[in-house]
Amino acid sequence: MNKFLVFLEQRGGTIKKASIETWNRVQELAAEQGDSAVSGILAGPADLKQLDGYIVGDGVIYHASEECLALYNPERYARLVKDTLQREACTTLFFADTILSRELAPKLSVRLKASLLSGCAMSDVAWHNGGCVRPVYAGSAMASFLPERTFRIYTISSCATPAISNARGTITVITLEPHSFASEPLFSVVRRNLMREGGLDVAEAGIIVAGGRGMGGTEGFFLLEQLARLLGGAVGASRPVVDEGWRPQCEQIGQTGKTVAPVLYFAFGISGSLQHLAGIGSVGTVVAINKDCHAPIFDVADYGIVGDVHLVLPKLLDTLQEFLKRK
Amino acid sequence: MNIAVCVCQVPDTASIIRFDVDGAIDLTRINEVMNPYDEYALEEAVRLKERFKGSVVTVFSVAPASAKEMLRKALALGADRAVLLSDTVVSDSYQTALALSLVISTFYADGLPDVVFCGKQSTDFQAGEVPPMLAELLGMAFASGITALITFAESLHVEREIEGGTESVELNYPALLSAEKGLNIPRKSSIKAVLDARKKTIDFFTLTLSDTPCVVTTAIKPRERKKKCKFVSDENELIRRLREERALI
Repeated sequence: MNKFLVFLEQRGGTIKKASIETWNRVQELAAEQGDSAVSGILAGPADLKQLDGYIVGDGVIYHASEECLALYNPERYARLVKDTLQREACTTLFFADTILSRELAPKLSVRLKASLLSGCAMSDVAWHNGGCVRPVYAGSAMASFLPERTFRIYTISSCATPAISNARGTITVITLEPHSFASEPLFSVVRRNLMREGGLDVAEAGIIVAGGRGMGGTEGFFLLEQLARLLGGAVGASRPVVDEGWRPQCEQIGQTGKTVAPVLYFAFGISGSLQHLAGIGSVGTVVAINKDCHAPIFDVADYGIVGDVHLVLPKLLDTLQEFLKRK
Repeated sequence: MNIAVCVCQVPDTASIIRFDVDGAIDLTRINEVMNPYDEYALEEAVRLKERFKGSVVTVFSVAPASAKEMLRKALALGADRAVLLSDTVVSDSYQTALALSLVISTFYADGLPDVVFCGKQSTDFQAGEVPPMLAELLGMAFASGITALITFAESLHVEREIEGGTESVELNYPALLSAEKGLNIPRKSSIKAVLDARKKTIDFFTLTLSDTPCVVTTAIKPRERKKKCKFVSDENELIRRLREERALI
């Protein structure tokens, strides 16, 4: 029997969408495989009612609800996950691909002598051997990896799928007895999290409106912010824009920025260098607006408008506003 | 203060990855450079050295002998010593971390360095697995992708990007920190520094790994990304089409 454990990540009591998506995908995998069980481990205080309607399948979620787990703590989280894995006799552990899991999963892989496969697209986990395929070299190649150990840890990259609603799952929640963490040496402590105003991150956004050098400067992005607000998305930027200081580093998409997977991606005034394309390999629909009809971004776009972003953008905003009003 | 920096080589970001007729990856025409994230790591190490007089910065790399040139550059950028592990073949992140942990603990025979800096990830495989694995193997405190560092006598305070905000982390020594873009602006090396670097030593180490790889790379294949772009005349048509395929609801 396959026994899968999914790590559910919360921040400020909100369980990450990426974690819920990972749970749902692991449930699909378990259903395909047959003779499989899925359980989850949630660290930190959170109201599990928030999962209602979003989570599929049957399974047990172990909840370590202590206040001392509210903020990420590498030592405590590692111990909690390891204890749960061993108690449940699971040999496969899944994380959503997040900043936290990129830190915790390698740590656990050493501790458990496990094979670690990072940034896997779930659809690519060919399960008969547990391998994974993911882009390397700025997305210009795909590499296949195979685990060599019995214990396996995967971090699952999000892919462009709209969120599930009205999902039905039967979840049993078991609240764990508080751990006796007090005696452990603490190497590092997270003091606080400071969230940005309206801080939807490009790495988590369902829609991204990204701007490049073609935006012309800081002011050019005001309209992109409006568009992002209108669509409930996030503003992204190409590297030159960040290097010029027009936008903060946290918005940079590409090889030395973030990898994103929204359902819809707008590229305004972005030429589409290989380094930028490296960050948008798993995007759903790409819309490119550029005055140069030979810009390489059009080679990876689904829809294109050849034109000056400063003329197209205001018209697009007006039309969208009309459309959303009618809805 | 003993400061270690781990660096690796990657194809420079302008390189185009080619495949030969058999479909095998061809890296012979690639220009290898120091991983861009490692430049931030090295710069931060050198700044720390300048703040704490008497500190020594040592650069470590697991790479072919040709990586000597990269290490020379690191020395010109302010490192004091360099150690190259050129005969040890590593084939996954775990073996790389294991090799680094062995060479670091051998080099600092009487204990661990106070701080180890790494780049957040390499720009070629982009997994970012080596720094946290190395921290675990060495038994050091760890924070990934830091964008600010303040050092105190007893502890280190760092900031790092999380989704939608920043996180403040306090760490005890010894600590391993991986550097994110934005941590600093790396300096350029002067001609004098380049000449001085010629006088600094690069040590070659050889060691045998005690463990097999955890993950094998079975294939690297070219990726076809081309899509057929549908050019639309105006925003009305665009919105209509996005609605049709339910990209816009």
